[in-house]
Amino acid sequence: MAQSNFDRRRINGPEESFLPIFDSDEEEETRWKPGNPRIGRGARDIRPIFLKAGLINQANGSAYIETEKTKIACAVYGPRQSKSTTYNEKGRLNVEVKFAPFSCTRRRVPIRDAEDRSVAVQIQQALVPAVRLELLPKSTIDIFITIIENDGMEGCIASGSVAASAALADAGIEMLGLVASCSAAVVGKEIWLDPTEEEGKVSSGTLILAGMPALETITSVWQSGSMTPTDAIKCMEACQERYMDIHAVAAQALLQNAQNT
Amino acid sequence: MSSDIVLPGQPIPIPRGPMPHVGNGLYSRDGTVRASLIGVPSYAGSALEIKRTRPRPPAPDSIVLGLVTRLSPLQAVVSITVVDGVPLPAGEEFTGVIRVQDVRATEKDKVKIADCFRGGDVVRGLVLSLGDARSYYVTTARNDLGVIFATSEAGATMEPVSWQEMRCPKTGKIEKRKCAKPEGM
Repeated sequence: MAQSNFDRRRINGPEESFLPIFDSDEEEETRWKPGNPRIGRGARDIRPIFLKAGLINQANGSAYIETEKTKIACAVYGPRQSKSTTYNEKGRLNVEVKFAPFSCTRRRVPIRDAEDRSVAVQIQQALVPAVRLELLPKSTIDIFITIIENDGMEGCIASGSVAASAALADAGIEMLGLVASCSAAVVGKEIWLDPTEEEGKVSSGTLILAGMPALETITSVWQSGSMTPTDAIKCMEACQERYMDIHAVAAQALLQNAQNT
Repeated sequence: MSSDIVLPGQPIPIPRGPMPHVGNGLYSRDGTVRASLIGVPSYAGSALEIKRTRPRPPAPDSIVLGLVTRLSPLQAVVSITVVDGVPLPAGEEFTGVIRVQDVRATEKDKVKIADCFRGGDVVRGLVLSLGDARSYYVTTARNDLGVIFATSEAGATMEPVSWQEMRCPKTGKIEKRKCAKPEGM
């Protein structure tokens, strides 16, 4: 017996149920077809970004980012003493990503799975070169990222990295520079920046670039799907150009926060 | 003033003349001094630094306050709650260890941990080193370091009478502690 309080006298519904998904006619019209230009915005445009630091007050530092249908909250705790028994000259950066159950079109079971971890690994990789971990021996910094609404995994990773770097700066943790990140997708012959979930599905390959615009250095490049080398380089150039704007948004938000306190 | 706030990675213009010593919250890379914290850079002596207001982990030479949690004949374990005057958030304490040879500067071989500290005492100490994986090494071998707050067996807050004794105001009993010299004496 799986459940002890299972009611056998009445007709029970199935354990799991999903809403039927209809293909509405309206959606059919607005769906992108090969050969058409991108719907809603230009190929090299990104979604507008809202970023605010310091919204979670029990955390050491925090940030909230919203780009249309991607909503992410990020909290930073620490530096606290490492629990591990080995001596570490450098600090550790611990990133945990959680998807809210309602974040995707289909309900997500609130258990850590492989996807959470791969997102966490990519965000961690984007941040580690920027944090001055050599100043924090024997310590651990915990970053908790909650994805409240998800519209494309690439966008989540890019926005998550930006939010986490803003939260780290808000927590007063020493960094070499702010991290900005941008994603790109190859759709047909075009390169679309900051793809949504729908656009990610029609694309042949995606690329996520993270770096520190202030130092003109790149911290992480992540490419998936098929992409020619020329396309990959074009994507990187487009991302690098655009993440300057993202950096400006993050800098503005942090500056405003610093002035108010 | 608000325009002077710098962000991590932002280069800081250095006036002509000798290169200032790069202090807290700043770093130099490829000949440019850049900020690594949000704040206003200012001079502290010859060093240019950004003051940090957030708690940070103990480092060698920082003054810490801690609560004695465990005693053994060889060492006293303290839970560090304040680093350089900045309290750490609850639940983010660091553990420190006062070894028997670090309790006082003289007659180190005659030190008995039980005659210097008791559980629950608040101790002011100086971080000697990062120590081992588990704890920081803390010393109280200085006049101004040692127990700064202790309660007697009767439960009253005791007052120091000498550098190794404290008196309970309730019962008048004398208990042994390695006291810190009270400030302003």
